[in-house]
Amino acid sequence: MSEAYLTSFSEFLPGNPVGNDEIEEYIGIVGGEISKYKKMVLRQNKITSRYYASNKDGEFEYTVAQIAAKAVEKAFLNSETDLSELEFLVTSCSIHDSIIPGLASLVHGQLNVDHIDVSSNQSVCGSSIMAMRSAVNSIRLGEFQTACVSGSEIASRHFRPTFYESTAHFKQVNALPLDQEFLRYTLSDGAGAAVIESRPNSNSISLKVNWIKARSFANRFSTCMIGGAVKEEGRVVSWGSQPSLEAAIDKGCFALSQDLKLVYEMIPVWVGHYLSLLEEGLIIPEEIDHVVSHYSSESLKTEVVKLLTKVGAMIDEEKWFSNLTYKGNTGSASIFILLNELFYSGRLKQGEKILCHVPESGQAYNSFMLLEVV
Amino acid sequence: MPTETVMRNLLIVWTDFESRLNTVPILKKLSNGRFSIDDYKELLVNHRQQVVEGSRWIARAASSTTSEYLDQRSTFLKHSVTEHRDYEMLESQFCLIGGTLDEIRSAPKNIGTEIFHSYMFEQSSQENPFHLLGSMFIIEGLGQRKAKGWGLAIKELLDLDDKAVEFYVYHGDNDPEHMEEFEQTLNSGILEIEGMGEKIVKTAKITALLYELQLREIGNY
Repeated sequence: MSEAYLTSFSEFLPGNPVGNDEIEEYIGIVGGEISKYKKMVLRQNKITSRYYASNKDGEFEYTVAQIAAKAVEKAFLNSETDLSELEFLVTSCSIHDSIIPGLASLVHGQLNVDHIDVSSNQSVCGSSIMAMRSAVNSIRLGEFQTACVSGSEIASRHFRPTFYESTAHFKQVNALPLDQEFLRYTLSDGAGAAVIESRPNSNSISLKVNWIKARSFANRFSTCMIGGAVKEEGRVVSWGSQPSLEAAIDKGCFALSQDLKLVYEMIPVWVGHYLSLLEEGLIIPEEIDHVVSHYSSESLKTEVVKLLTKVGAMIDEEKWFSNLTYKGNTGSASIFILLNELFYSGRLKQGEKILCHVPESGQAYNSFMLLEVV
Repeated sequence: MPTETVMRNLLIVWTDFESRLNTVPILKKLSNGRFSIDDYKELLVNHRQQVVEGSRWIARAASSTTSEYLDQRSTFLKHSVTEHRDYEMLESQFCLIGGTLDEIRSAPKNIGTEIFHSYMFEQSSQENPFHLLGSMFIIEGLGQRKAKGWGLAIKELLDLDDKAVEFYVYHGDNDPEHMEEFEQTLNSGILEIEGMGEKIVKTAKITALLYELQLREIGNY
């Protein structure tokens, strides 16, 4: 079986960075007043700037497929391999442009490349690792020599005031619950991509994929992040099961929501998963040179750090790399945007090991990937 | 096995157990908001039969501790005294929600509690049964991390007074001290006994499984 190498990366962040004071100019104000939760959420997630795919008039200048395609093209511009050599395109996203067709088809439609296979992975942040596994394993099996994986999100589409103001809940209280405001002030837009090949770069470093270990705990936790459906007595009821589209809007099926209490309940299983990999000898903290971790907020990080330190499993904080505070939390795109910056930073040295961590609160999923600089 | 490794493995056991509890029918009902007053009565009746025996096995563990380990024996004894009348809270809660003392006291153990009870007594009868720290980690963990949440959810859902959920909320408020005590005991020299670390972790695993079983078997006598 051959090895799989991440040989180039890219990011595509639409528009200009948007500071905390300008957020509402892009995502609007729900109910005529800036949310009382804004300061608290920003203090928690520590995000100071992010990018939005819309302009200040609220018009969207890109689609999810377009920003993914731009990231794929950029990744090949950074690569020793040409886009025309692409054989397998794997996309990841939380919500894309359509219900049908799949995102990978829409992205391929934007690319000037022929004779490729595609695969669409939809989940939340963790879809990036699901997509990565699919590409990495196909390369290892020898099915393809060159693959590209993308992650892309336009979360801000769903944060527009009109999307909330038509719900019965809003009409009643004229404000959004924290579970919805948290997402409005945490998620933003962007895309990233990585080229994966069966051979390393000849003129520069590559990242060999040593392993990917992911686990779903969805049987143990109820749905935490929800869109396109509502939770009723613990059951997920789809927009499509409502008597009419109006009823679905009224119930709030299209208002993205995250149960923050449930996120905190999930942290222990993420930690337990990490500790199991330590006990199996797959992760040796002293041998990790860089930790690239995608947390949806800095406050979660603090909780995790506390627990890990207690059991001697903490990797020194100076080894942690993150750009979420200035590039935003872009869901499935984040891990690519993180790796892109680290890969081209000049900081990576031959033989170093990078531990990537992508947890997903959607319905309790957790993933790790170990990369080695070669 | 050094303390850190023991703690790490105990955390793995705990996180697995804690999340597995979410799949237990009665707790699933609670988190989904479909938990009724009859469910609560049944929980109290079943839980009481385990709690009433708790301080007995801790006291048994104290009497199984030889004189080289007097400090550890004191810890077991103190712990047993602290807890030995806790079950009375469950009884008065049961009466507050319409049950009778006779009903809760005369109820049998469910089949899960029977196994749990037999295991705890058998283990605490062994000489210097410090591996029971694994059991304490699980049971104290439940008190510290889960009980309060359950209590408050039950109170809200069934619109009850504080007194009717006191046992659960009380444990959430008081058990952090027990956890500190736990770490002190772990560091008191017992890990120098050969194989003790491994035994503690294994005992934690078994206790977690049996505890889950008694919750799954609520009403099965």
